[in-house]
Order: sequence, then C-alpha cells, then structure tokens
Amino acid sequence: MRRLLNIFRRKVVAPKPVQEEGRPFKERYVYFKRLLSENNTVLEIMADMEEKLSGEYIFDMNYVRTSCSKLVDSVQNIIVNLDKLSKGKYPNLYFAFAKINSKIEATLTNKTEIPVTDFTIPFDSVTKDMVNSVGGKNANLGEIKNKIGLPVPEGFCITAYAFKKFIEFNDLKNKIILSSVDIVDMEGLNRISREARDLIMNSQIPPDIESSISNAFSELSRKISSRAGSPTASVRSSAIHEDAKFTFAGQYKTALNVKADNVIENYKRVISSLFNTRAIFYYKSKGFEEEDMVMAVGVVEMIDAKASGVMYSSDPTDAEKNDIIINAVWGLGKYAVDGTVAPNVYIVSRDEPRTILEKTTPVQEVMLKCNPKEDVVEVEVPEEIRAASCLTDDQIKFLADYALVLEKHYNIPQDIEWVLDEKNKFFILQTRPLRILKEKPVKNIQAITDGYKILINKGQIACKGVGAGKVFFVKNDEDLQKFPEGAVLVAKHTSPKFVKVMNKASAIVADVGGITGHMASLSREYNVPTLLDTQVAMKTLEAGKEITVDAINGNIYEGRIEELIEAGKRENPFKDTAVFKFLRALLNNIVPLKLIDPEDEKFSPDYCETFHDITRFAHEVAMKEMFQIADSPNIPNIRKREAVKIEVKIPLEIYVIDLDGGIKSDSKKITPDQILSIPMNALLQGMMAMEWPGPPPINVKGFFSVIASTTMQPHSEKLLWEPSFAIISREYMNFNIRLGYHIQTVEAFVGDNINDNYVRFLFKGGGASIDRRARRTRLIKEILELTDFDVKRTGDVLDARVTKYDKSNLLKKLGILARLTAYTKQLDMTLFNDAMVDWYIKEFLSKYYTEDWE
Amino acid sequence: MTEIKKLLIPLTDYPHMPYWATLEEAIVLLNFSHGSGYHTVLVFDEFYKLLGMLHWKDILRAINPKFKELSSEGIDIITSWDDNKFKMPIKDFMSPFDITVDAGDDILKVAYLLLQHDIDIIPVKESEKVLGVVRMHDIFHEITGFILQSKK
Repeated sequence: MRRLLNIFRRKVVAPKPVQEEGRPFKERYVYFKRLLSENNTVLEIMADMEEKLSGEYIFDMNYVRTSCSKLVDSVQNIIVNLDKLSKGKYPNLYFAFAKINSKIEATLTNKTEIPVTDFTIPFDSVTKDMVNSVGGKNANLGEIKNKIGLPVPEGFCITAYAFKKFIEFNDLKNKIILSSVDIVDMEGLNRISREARDLIMNSQIPPDIESSISNAFSELSRKISSRAGSPTASVRSSAIHEDAKFTFAGQYKTALNVKADNVIENYKRVISSLFNTRAIFYYKSKGFEEEDMVMAVGVVEMIDAKASGVMYSSDPTDAEKNDIIINAVWGLGKYAVDGTVAPNVYIVSRDEPRTILEKTTPVQEVMLKCNPKEDVVEVEVPEEIRAASCLTDDQIKFLADYALVLEKHYNIPQDIEWVLDEKNKFFILQTRPLRILKEKPVKNIQAITDGYKILINKGQIACKGVGAGKVFFVKNDEDLQKFPEGAVLVAKHTSPKFVKVMNKASAIVADVGGITGHMASLSREYNVPTLLDTQVAMKTLEAGKEITVDAINGNIYEGRIEELIEAGKRENPFKDTAVFKFLRALLNNIVPLKLIDPEDEKFSPDYCETFHDITRFAHEVAMKEMFQIADSPNIPNIRKREAVKIEVKIPLEIYVIDLDGGIKSDSKKITPDQILSIPMNALLQGMMAMEWPGPPPINVKGFFSVIASTTMQPHSEKLLWEPSFAIISREYMNFNIRLGYHIQTVEAFVGDNINDNYVRFLFKGGGASIDRRARRTRLIKEILELTDFDVKRTGDVLDARVTKYDKSNLLKKLGILARLTAYTKQLDMTLFNDAMVDWYIKEFLSKYYTEDWE
Repeated sequence: MTEIKKLLIPLTDYPHMPYWATLEEAIVLLNFSHGSGYHTVLVFDEFYKLLGMLHWKDILRAINPKFKELSSEGIDIITSWDDNKFKMPIKDFMSPFDITVDAGDDILKVAYLLLQHDIDIIPVKESEKVLGVVRMHDIFHEITGFILQSKK
C-alpha cells in the first residue's frame, strides 16, 4: 500500500491533529467539499473531452495531454479525500486507480515504435499504412501512386529507421539534450537548435545508409531518365508525427533540384531542420520527448514545373459552398505556397458537369525555375504569358477531377499540392486532410421546420444530434424494462440507469439535469441526442405521440421531420485523424460508466474500470459517509462545547453544529434569522410556517399525569423529547430530527453546481404498531413521489432522494419535507386502515400543494 | 368461566388517535371503520397513555345544540356544520373512562361492570399496557350462546 500511495504525486495536506471533539466534523466536511469540487472538475473535463470527439472542434495533442493530466490529478484527489472522509474505508480504490492509470499512462506514453525496415524504400512499395516508417507525406504519395493510381513523381523514402541508425551511429542522443532548455527562453532555444543542427551537419552518415541512398538514387535515375537527361530530385521532410498534428506544415526544410552528389548533404540538412527553433518549441510545448523527434525523408524526382500550385477539394471557409479551389503560379509551387506572388485562382463546381465558376489571373512578373545545374533560380515570367492563365480551362477541369478522386479515397476534403510539367502532364506532390475552419452548419433549420409546431424550445444540449420517435415517459425502473425500440425517453430527471435503454432510445429528454452529469456523459458515449433541463417536457409532451428532438438547436417539434433528422446526420472529417484516435483510445479508460446502480453488489472499487467509475463510486459513498456523521456517538459530548441552540417556536429542541459559515453568531443561543445555512433555513422556515399537531415539548410534563397510565408500548419521555442536532454549513445540512418515536434525517447539499446538489430524507419507525407505521411511510412515499423524489420503502423504512436539481428547486423540496415532518408527527397512531392514508394524502395536498412543487 | 382476553379486539385493529386529532379526523376515521362495526375512538396522549374514548354518541352530543336548533327546519347537518368545531381537538369532546378491566378478568365480571356503568365498551389492560377493548355485544353473544348451548 505504501508503494501505491507513492504513486500519488500530489498529496493532500495531512489533517491537523484533532484537538476538540467537534473538530473531526469540520475536517470531514472539508474533505467532503474538496471531493465535491474535484468531482465536478472531473465531470467537466470528461464532458469537454467527449465534446471534442463530436468533431466540432479542432484540438491538438497538447489539449489531450493537459486534460488528461488534470483529470489524473483530480481523480487522485477524490480518492485521497474520500480516504480521509471515510477514515480509510476504501483502500481498494487506490488499486483501482493504479490499474486504470497505468493503462492511461501506457496510452499516453505510447512511443511511436520505429519499425525495422530497409534504409530506403521506393515509392512503388509504399502505402499510407507505412507512416511510422516513411512519415506522413511519403506514405500519402505512395498511397496515391499505388492505391489510387494518380500520377506522382518517382522517388524513394529514406526511412525513420535510417534516421534512428544515424542518430545511434553518431551518439547524437547523448549530445543533443533538449530537456535542459526552458521553452520560454528563446535565446536558449536558439542556441540549442543551432548546436543540434551543427552536430547533425558535422556527423557522418553510416556507410551502409549512404550506399543504400546512393543505390536508391541510381535506381530513381534509371526510372526517370526518359523524362530528364541528368535527373535531379527534391529532398523533402516527411516527419513521423506530421499527420497527427495539423500544425507541422512548413516547419521543415525542403531542398529542391538536388543532384546525385549532394543528396547526402541535403539529407542531413533536411533532418537537421527537425531541430529548428520553431520545431523544438513546438515539440516541447506539446509535451513530446526527444525520442519522438524522428524524421523520414522523401527523395522525389524533380519536376521542372511549367506551372504548379495548391488546390482544396472543398472550400475550407465554408464547406457548404460545394466548390473546388485551385491556386496556380507559373514555375515552381514554392511561390504559390509562400505568397511571393499572387496566384491564379480558379473556382470550380464540384457538381457535374464541372464548371469554372470564377477565374482570377493576376499578372505574374517572376517565377521560380530549376537551375539547369542545380538548385532553383528566380526568373522573369515571359512577357507573353504574364497576364495569361497558367492553366487552360480543360486543364483546370481535369485537375479538379483529381481533387475529387483524392477526397473520395480519403473520405475527407483534401489539401493538395500539384505540378504541371513542360509536357503538360500533371503530378500530385502531396495531399493531406484539409482543415475546415467552420463546421458545416445544419442546413437552414428554419426552412426545414417551417410549418411544424414547436412543443418545447428550451433546454441544455448534452449530446448533439436529432432523434425522433414516440414519447415514452420513464418514471421508475419498471418503465425502463418496458422501454420500446426507437422511442424518445422523457423523464423528470436524469439517471445513469437510462444507459440500459440507450441502444433503443432515439433521443432523451429530461426536465432536470446538466450536461456534465453522469447520464449526459453516457448519452455522448452512446451518441443519443439528448436535451436536458427542459423543465416542462413531462407536462408538455404526451405519451405515445411522435416528436422530433432537435438537440442541435434545442427544440422539440411535434411529429416526425425527416429532413431535420437527415440534416442532423453529419459526417465528421476529423474523426480519422491520429489525434482523434488517440483521444478516443484514452477516453476508453476514462469515460465509460460501468458502476450504475448503487444497490448492485458490483458497485464497489473492485469493479471500477474507468475514472468515471471511480468518481461515481467515490461521490456516492462520500454522500453516505456524510449522511452518517450525525449518528456519531460524539454528538452528545459535542453538544456542550460546539452546539448552539436555536430559539424557535416549534415543538423541537434544535441544536446546530456549524462546520463552515452556517450561522452568523458566536452566541450559544441564536434565532432562526441568524442561520446562514441555505438548506437549514429552507427547512426551518417551512417548519415554522406549519401548525404543529400536539403539545410543545416543554409544557407537557405532568400535563395528563392524573390519567391512568396505560401504554401500548413502553415509550419513555426521554425518547420523545430528545434534542435534535443539525450539522450545518452554508450549503450543507445534516439534520437528525427527534420527533415522536421515529428516526428522521434530512440531509441536503444546496450549492450553485447542480452536480453537487441533493436532498436525502430518511424516515424510520414510529410509536404505533408496524402496520400503522408502514401506512405512514406509504403516505410519505406517495407525497414525495409526487414531488419527484426517488423513494425506496420497505415496511416502515423510507429512503428518499433527489439529486442534481438547481438551488431553487431543492429549496422547494426542503419546504415540502418541512411540512411533511410536522404533518406526519405521530400520525401513525391514527392510520387505522389504507382508506385513512388516502384521506390524509388528499388532505395534505389540498392544504399544502402548490403549483410550485412541480 | 372464560377470560375476557378471548373476546379482546387488539388495539392494532381498533381505531385510536392522539388527543390533538381534530373532530373531523375522528369522524372520517369512524366512517372508514364503520364496516368493521367500530363506533369508538380510543384517545391517547403522545406517550401512549390512554386519555379517554370518543364514542359516536360524544360526536352527536357535540353537535347537539346545532342539531336541536336545525332539526325543525330539516336542514342537512353536515353542510350547516360549524367549521371551527371540525378543527377542534377531540380531547374537547371525548368521555373520560371510569374503569378498565384486566386481561385475566372473567367475562361475567366484565359484563357486570358494563351493565353497572351503562357502557358498551371497555379497555383491557395487562400490566399497565392497553391491549385493546371488549364490546358489550361480543360479551352478549358469548354469554347467550353459552346459555343456548347448555340448554340443548
């Protein structure tokens, strides 16, 4: 265990020694509060990470790592605080955490294994699956050549394995130390970068690699000799992680028009650019280790471009536009990419027949061409073509077709580099996923939904999407058993138990609940369109009626709107990227919730498989621990020192123990207006508003002592008039009410975050015979269920709960509990039969029921 | 002969209320218990000490003044009922009880007491604990049944 505890990097400060008897309560409350706060942090981070998987946001590895590390910290803190709160009752949680964390660590630190390959691989045998060997750029070129069949220049890859061997051969790993430099120290970064690049340039390429490159180049020359007399090549970076992060573009060096003799030199130049200042900054800020810095290189037949450029298979600013955009310049494409000259812009329709919608051809004065010997050179664009279009209309349409072929193959819009050689033949130089800046908006909802009746137009969207089906109300577990395929689940409040029907539900609607709750998370996991906090769905919707839930705009419509359902189905262009897959893999150990039912015997640390499980378990048992603190044997002792008596005109003798901000007085006796505790206030106000049956506690002694003493059961006065204790803070109350012969506890946490909020009501026993006591609990159960409590009753024991309601709602619930408390005082005696119970329920409702309850 | 325990209606089966219950509640209770043939509410305090009994006669007596006043006009008693009286506690209307019997007492002794005090119902105790009640008409059936049996 000690070893396990050491896993915890950040430790919660150990509690101070207990000095007075009241202290432990305060301490435990502090742990409870911390636990609640960490619980919320965890839920929020998880919700955020899941939302990223919806594909509406661009994010990077840094986001994933940072979120994950915050999550690990918070889950640790939850466990530590629960440990203190429960005095070490759940040691197995540490094991559960260690198990899950090690899986997460393994995913996080999953180093890209560099496969052992040849030092060079010709494009002929490369596909996109070889990204770890040849880097993203090369892998895509191989894919285009070998799988798609579009023309690409000939070439070969110098593999990541060759890079690794080069580093090892020169012991560069021990010479290039990046960890010593702080990323905010620009000068330090520059220095390190310079040193690293110098080291590489001065290192020797191992002879076997050198001969492999040389052989590959000879082979390349042989292949392309028909196209060029003395073949040259471009030497281009193809970094291993390039595909996963969108932002590597343009970080590394490319050498153009390189002759055979200089390939090695330029190879070193390109790999040294892996250590340029920007790249080091990037890697370090993204949390990569030096081992992650690996580069493969492409040696690509140099095409002396007549024209070249970039094209997008879709408009990155508005995917709705249905356009292909082509940029073109005379000469080599570098000038199109770096903005040296204003390129021709052609906009081509994606629809058949291909039409050129727009054509801009600015005058181009200079262009980049291959120098006959080596390297490239800027030359003037011949006068006669300066203002002319670089491509003919036919060429434009031809090229546009390539864009769509590539998009279709990769299934997402593409950003493509192309070149046109002097013989008017196109080649693709590179293709990569296009960054769409704006998510495709759902097509004019207004137009679709015109004429349909909106039933509900409010709510929080917990899982985006559109779902339609017949309304099915879920009020209890039995309803879930009967849940029909394809229905819309409508409930007063959320419950993780709904997961049981998430494969059947076409949408979920609840009047209460928030997007960071457990169920919301499950909705996202199962991708069920979910609208929460609608407030009026239970009232407004009709069982069995067809509705369409638009959990994109937050509306519920009458009837089934096929077009809207169709519009809700959105393709996600980023879901195939590595960073997405990475996030999804991580979330597997974080989000799925297995611990659903606290009554289940598997609701234990041993069955926690994810951080969500741990969080849910800890939250549940922490509430249980807090609920029990009022039962402490210390209470009578504390009374003398800590407790303060409330002077209140109800037949209860109430003492409060303030944990934190629950009262505003130091006096030993206070009045109700000095109570700052939000839940306590609500309960007291409700109690004070009631007419209490029976006598006040003090005056009763001896009142009827002349009467024959015939008791049904041996009831002592001591039991009946014991003082009641409330442990309170500003947001919390644990009130053990001694009233009559039953045990009654009202516990509540009423704060600003609905995830923290709950009211629990426990009622047990009574002075009358068991059947009458059971009737009283039935009475309470029925009234509480009307006000949305989740009630469990066995005989004369009743356990009721509401969770995740907002403050104002919970205060109303406390008001109802206050009235019930007074109303049912010794009412068991009267409950002769069930008809009496029904009569009292009606009476209570007619006297105290208000619309507000709902 | 026979111990009275044999004819006991246990308290759990018999209507009883705390003294602060209202007259209205008691009337409701007696209406709901009508089918079982119970016309009396035992009245306890919060410590389950027996304070008295509220017989249907007590209720009628409570409304007696109004009753007299209204009877000649044939007005429905309940609708012209004084609401305030409805809300008054039953302790204001109940009859105190003069005697109790012990669970081990003989039926004949109890019958004698009931006749002597001109009452229909009597609480039965066992060491300070109210076990329930016995009713005059159960005793009547027990005794007359016994007589018929022995004649045969």
